[in-house]
Amino acid sequence: MSNDFEAVRRKVALRFREPTKLPKEIFSDEAIYREELQRFFYGPYWHPVAHRAELPATGSFKTTWLAEVPVILTRTADDEVRAFINSCSHRGALLEQRRCGVAAQFECPYHRWLFGNDGGFIGAPGRKEFRSDFCETDYSLVPLRVAEHAGLIFVSRDSLAPDLQSFLGAAASPLADCMLDDGRLKLIGYQKVIYQANWKAYIDNDPYHAPLLHAAFRLLNWHGSKGQLITTRPYGHMCILYQINHYVDNGFLNDPSAISFLGTDDRARVVALRPVTGITKHLDTINIRFARPLGVNRTEVSYAFFGHQDDTPEYLEHRVRQSSNLLGPSGYISIEDAAIYNRVQLTTNDGGYARFVKGVGKPRDQWSQNDEASNTEWWAHYRTRMGFAPEGSADG
Amino acid sequence: MVSYLEHCRAIDELLGLYALVVDGQEWERWPALFAEDCYYAVVSIENVEQDLPLAYMLDDSRERILDRVKFVREVWAGTVEPYRTRHSIQRTMTMDLGSGVYEVQANFLVGYTLGDGTAGMLAMGHYEDQIAVGEEGALFLRKVVYLDNVPPRYLIYPL
Ligand code: FES
Ligand SMILES: [Fe+2]
Repeated sequence: MSNDFEAVRRKVALRFREPTKLPKEIFSDEAIYREELQRFFYGPYWHPVAHRAELPATGSFKTTWLAEVPVILTRTADDEVRAFINSCSHRGALLEQRRCGVAAQFECPYHRWLFGNDGGFIGAPGRKEFRSDFCETDYSLVPLRVAEHAGLIFVSRDSLAPDLQSFLGAAASPLADCMLDDGRLKLIGYQKVIYQANWKAYIDNDPYHAPLLHAAFRLLNWHGSKGQLITTRPYGHMCILYQINHYVDNGFLNDPSAISFLGTDDRARVVALRPVTGITKHLDTINIRFARPLGVNRTEVSYAFFGHQDDTPEYLEHRVRQSSNLLGPSGYISIEDAAIYNRVQLTTNDGGYARFVKGVGKPRDQWSQNDEASNTEWWAHYRTRMGFAPEGSADG
Repeated sequence: MVSYLEHCRAIDELLGLYALVVDGQEWERWPALFAEDCYYAVVSIENVEQDLPLAYMLDDSRERILDRVKFVREVWAGTVEPYRTRHSIQRTMTMDLGSGVYEVQANFLVGYTLGDGTAGMLAMGHYEDQIAVGEEGALFLRKVVYLDNVPPRYLIYPL
């Protein structure tokens, strides 16, 4: 913990009296951001980094980032998914620069060291002249812990992270619903965008917010159905479970076909996994939003969309049309969300608070889908983990 | 007989008019640049290289192009943060497909400026268009925008 952070921590703690009233500097302070990387991104949490559908065959790999750490995921011959820091164990060149592909081995371009896709050191030119105590097993790629749920691949850098199922808690089941239970998904593509917002501002306003934001809902005559809300402790994962209601054409659109529901699985789900991943199943779309902080006020989000391996070609085509227009960064509905991340971030230096009011004070089991209280479990956890809560406080 | 050069001039005029209309945000004129049967999409080059069909925007009929205009003008206004764009377009390839239809490629750079005056590069990439040239000028039968970069903000307006 840096001295910088300790000074900030004391100041913020004085203002962070309750998890429903956030001092806005937590979204804009550089020292807090650096500390969050350590405590959350490199700490005892699980981070979704890919779905198995993105590694379609043995030998497939995908490169990505865990905050500032480059990561390579591989699907090895034994059909295990493994994760390593994507850095050559010699002098540290980025080992693989392609986004994805198929490779049994990775050769570093700098001094031509060779690694297997299981992370092991295979060989290097001039090996005989290496220092006499050179031990090959000391030069494997640095592994990350990997765990999988319904095909969703999680990694963790911290040996203290609990097992994945305990981490997910009651979010495990809605999450599997999003992956259509068996997790046999088919990747249909990515929409990437950079938001000018802190990672917490992004996730705090993405999966959950009141439908009031969406003029589109009003004009399309969509009404929120009564959903079930699940929040977990201690992490504050949040899930909304509801049933898809069919769009009734009110003549607003010239061609409503792309937003119609053609499937048979009418479970709709919105899941926010802490620290920063949103997952949705809505109408005929399945969407995992892999987010990556790029700095205190920038977050890159890669919206990955999926179908199912058993989809008919017609249904898959419908999924593509719908996924392309509805819920990504330029989507009919979600573009309004996107605007809010940026607009919230713009006021984070004014010394004020972001406050939660709707549903706050009601018993937890009476929270409804549209109650702001649903995000406050996470904020309680965050406040404790960052040392902003009084010593020994129970929340989180 | 109308010459190839005259057709090229009609094509360049259409590309120029396209920039004028989208940068001027004259959204009611945007669909008029397309033929009756038409297609408009914005895709990332990354998805294309991986054979992934997802788009950022996918309007596969005139109706859906008209719906996009509705969203920009009626649904999102007031919530989204508006920005001004400047399209710079350069035709790079023109192939005669016969019957007055051309396959046209053009590079584009799109700069953007926010309300507070800050500016940056929004999008770079290329167009692959099918353009029909007739008596009254040229119209897009099909326009596909291939995006090279990850946009530094969400995209409200067609590129
Ligand atoms: S840095 Fe990779 S082989 Fe030397
Ligand atoms: Fe929304």
